[in-house]
Amino acid sequence: MEAESPRTDSTTTGQSGSLVAGVSNKVGSVLVVGSGISGMQAALDLANGGYYVYLLDSEPAIGGLMSKLDKTFPTNDCAMCVMSPKLVDCGRHLNIELVTYADVKNIEGVPGNYNVEIVRKAKSVDEEKCTGCGDCVTGCPSRYVVRPPDEAAQYAPELTADDKDFVDRLLREEPDVEGNLLAVLQDVSEYCRFLPEHVLKYVSDATGIPLARMISIATFYDAFSLEPRGEHTISVCMGTACHVKGSGLLQSRLQDILQIGNGETTTDGKFTLQTVRCIGCCALAPAVRIDDETFGFVMVRGLEKILKRF
Amino acid sequence: MARINTQAEFERVAKEAAGRYWGRGLTVRVGMASCGLAAGANALYDVAAERVKGNGNGLSLSRVGCRGSCVVEPMVDVVSPDFHLTFGNVTKAGLESIIDAAQANDFSSFEDADAVWQERDAPRTDGTLYTTRRGTHAQIPDISAIPFYAPQRKIVTRNCGLIDPFDIEESLARDGYAALVKVLTENDPEGVIETVLASGLRGRGGAGFPTGRKWALTREAAGDEKYVFVNADEGDPGAFMDRSVLESDPHAVLEGLAIGAFAIGASEGIVYVRAEYPLAVQTLRNAIVQAREYGFLGENILGTSFSFDVSIRIGAGAFVCGEETALIASAEGRVGEPRPRPPYPAQSGYKGAPTVINNVKTWSAVAPIILNGAEWFAEVGTESSKGTAVFCVTGTIKNTGLVEVPMGMTLREIIYDVGGGPERAGSEIKAVQTGGPSGGCLPKDQFDLAVDYEKLTEAGSMMGSGGMIVVDDRTCMVSLAKFFLNFTMDESCGKCTPCREGTRRMHDLLEKITSGEGTEEDIAFLEELASYVKDTSLCGLGATAPNPVLSTLKYFRDEYDAHIRERRCPAGECEALISFRVVPDKCTVCGACAKVCPVNAVVEAGKAPPTIDQDACTRCRTCFEVCPSDAILIE
Repeated sequence: MEAESPRTDSTTTGQSGSLVAGVSNKVGSVLVVGSGISGMQAALDLANGGYYVYLLDSEPAIGGLMSKLDKTFPTNDCAMCVMSPKLVDCGRHLNIELVTYADVKNIEGVPGNYNVEIVRKAKSVDEEKCTGCGDCVTGCPSRYVVRPPDEAAQYAPELTADDKDFVDRLLREEPDVEGNLLAVLQDVSEYCRFLPEHVLKYVSDATGIPLARMISIATFYDAFSLEPRGEHTISVCMGTACHVKGSGLLQSRLQDILQIGNGETTTDGKFTLQTVRCIGCCALAPAVRIDDETFGFVMVRGLEKILKRF
Repeated sequence: MARINTQAEFERVAKEAAGRYWGRGLTVRVGMASCGLAAGANALYDVAAERVKGNGNGLSLSRVGCRGSCVVEPMVDVVSPDFHLTFGNVTKAGLESIIDAAQANDFSSFEDADAVWQERDAPRTDGTLYTTRRGTHAQIPDISAIPFYAPQRKIVTRNCGLIDPFDIEESLARDGYAALVKVLTENDPEGVIETVLASGLRGRGGAGFPTGRKWALTREAAGDEKYVFVNADEGDPGAFMDRSVLESDPHAVLEGLAIGAFAIGASEGIVYVRAEYPLAVQTLRNAIVQAREYGFLGENILGTSFSFDVSIRIGAGAFVCGEETALIASAEGRVGEPRPRPPYPAQSGYKGAPTVINNVKTWSAVAPIILNGAEWFAEVGTESSKGTAVFCVTGTIKNTGLVEVPMGMTLREIIYDVGGGPERAGSEIKAVQTGGPSGGCLPKDQFDLAVDYEKLTEAGSMMGSGGMIVVDDRTCMVSLAKFFLNFTMDESCGKCTPCREGTRRMHDLLEKITSGEGTEEDIAFLEELASYVKDTSLCGLGATAPNPVLSTLKYFRDEYDAHIRERRCPAGECEALISFRVVPDKCTVCGACAKVCPVNAVVEAGKAPPTIDQDACTRCRTCFEVCPSDAILIE
């Protein structure tokens, strides 16, 4: 969808035959792949310049990513105010044909004369007759039925009795769960080593705090993880003093040794590797913390020896 | 221990505590703050504990916090009513002989040890009550002869490393809670605010807002419920003084907090601590329990109508929560995103009530000001910045550690006198970075700058929370600026666009420059972006994020130019622009480099010097670090 195809660009240069000598039978239509803000603007410019434009997008509607934004950088302009006139113009322009819910399958030819094969996905709607009234959407009986992906449906572990006891006790002892949600989630996280979905759902059901709020907190703070974590957590300090003393090298060496990236867990579930913003042991830089133990003046060549202790 | 209900009771308890503290027989104190523990203080404590159990001979043992001289950790103090000696870089065997010598009262064999000195600490009460410790060991230097300590003036860190943070009695022995008792006895909240205002104390979190004014605004604000907060979400990389204070002297903070609460009329206090500081949380929890037990927290403190209690909130790893409005949001159990000010927390803070938020160091400085008077505090420092500044001096410097110096000291004095100059012989200190990711880098021709809030800001940096990172010629300033941008980019909460997108774009540009693909236009664009981000961001995080870039562009333009025009990194740090080579003339063919290379990029050639396979080399520097004859060249 995002493809800003240089191939189509070259057909839009408009300088007949200048790119490839001998091409004289130039066809006067242009395919713009991707109908984000730049695709729409390109289509409008071309259409106003007299070309017939096919505006293609893999999504059912044009508009792309910008329609999801509130404001744009750096001027803080309202995104929809910028783009909605263009949406309307694209939809109504006589020289623009929208090809939505479609993908480019094949491109042949040379600049100035392309044959493009497009696969249109089934919309099950007759576009010629549809007026976009929206009645079918509001009237659809299964619109609000949530259909989770198959694997999510399979993976729905039940709360064990221990888990349930723990959470119940936690909630009982905390008079103001909503105000202390952070602390509650910290306790859950410490107990389960991460925040499992089914436990969060249970907390949500028991307290009435929306699951979405817990997820927003869990994804905002670094201390929480929605993925299972390893037995030991290796935190490489990325404070300034550690950076100056080469902690970046420690991190890349650890990634090599453990064969995992930052924030990931080894396949055997033993180590989780993460960077941390200053553990306050700057005088011992570079520092690495494994669980609660801090190692100072760590050398790249000493890492394996440290790991062996765990 | 029963609650203390009157001033007379307090004086009796404090006097008894002081008697025990100053009169205690031969005691080994092991420095067991985080730095000490990482350096192996636990093992030392065990050694000393064995001795106490075995042929103790009246020997006792206690754990203390951090003395600030992190570079010589682990540290052990040996104290008796007559002397107080401090030993650094102590080994297990060393500790045995220290205890032997202390029991024999003969330290003649310690003449040559470099990290030994005698303390001059003495009780405040004019020396008549207990003996003032005299140096009885002439061969051991006095603390005033140690360059690291001589220029320091300890107010915030007055008790750090001298008391057991888990024992309120030791705090009481050193004037703990005396100021709170004084304030409650005088019962004049406005007077407290006036004293703090007159002392010129400014917020030690970085922005430097006058503390007294903040308190006065909160006191005047309408509302029955008011709150006081300790901001201990010390997120700045390179700053660890708040951790140190909390780990070493939590009562100083609690006492200040209680005084502040009394002055503004609050009955609830909250300490917001980073989750990365588990020991600080532990000391604080214990301190709160003890303070309640003694009646310094709770209902009707000291028999007055003033009731006040403190709870702890633990952060969850978000840097932006150090910003006061984000901190409040986080304490309320929400996502820690800042909001536009005004209204300031003084008008509408925690749960919409007037709230004072001060840094750990600010709270810790309150009690001595009350006890000794505003003039005593205002005597130290410069015209606009009174008192002392606490810095964490780290990086490529000899004496890394925590220092508390009078405001107005020059950077040169801090770096060369206190800090002892460059860590590696022959290298040169190129710059100092202050103020964390919000601050800037100052070059060596600015080292005569007197340190205070205004001067640092004028020079393009800032006081910040007090991290001071010294870098030498092996650090690339472009890469350092990129490091800070990476930090702010990562820690931006994403609420406002300039900060979320702008820091990312600036980071991309720096990435381009450090990988050798930068152009002249990139610098102009970088400057333009910086001004946008600075002017339009919602909170301090975004507004100060461009500072590291702007200050390095201002003072280290030549390094940017070298990256762009010559595709060269002068400091030899940017991986894309350097390669390693063996200098055959210097190489002794010892094989050390080949042995340590993690990717086998060092190709050995029998008796001839090895070569480095540039394709395999990951530029991890290990060979460079291990080479005993400096035969590996970065170019």
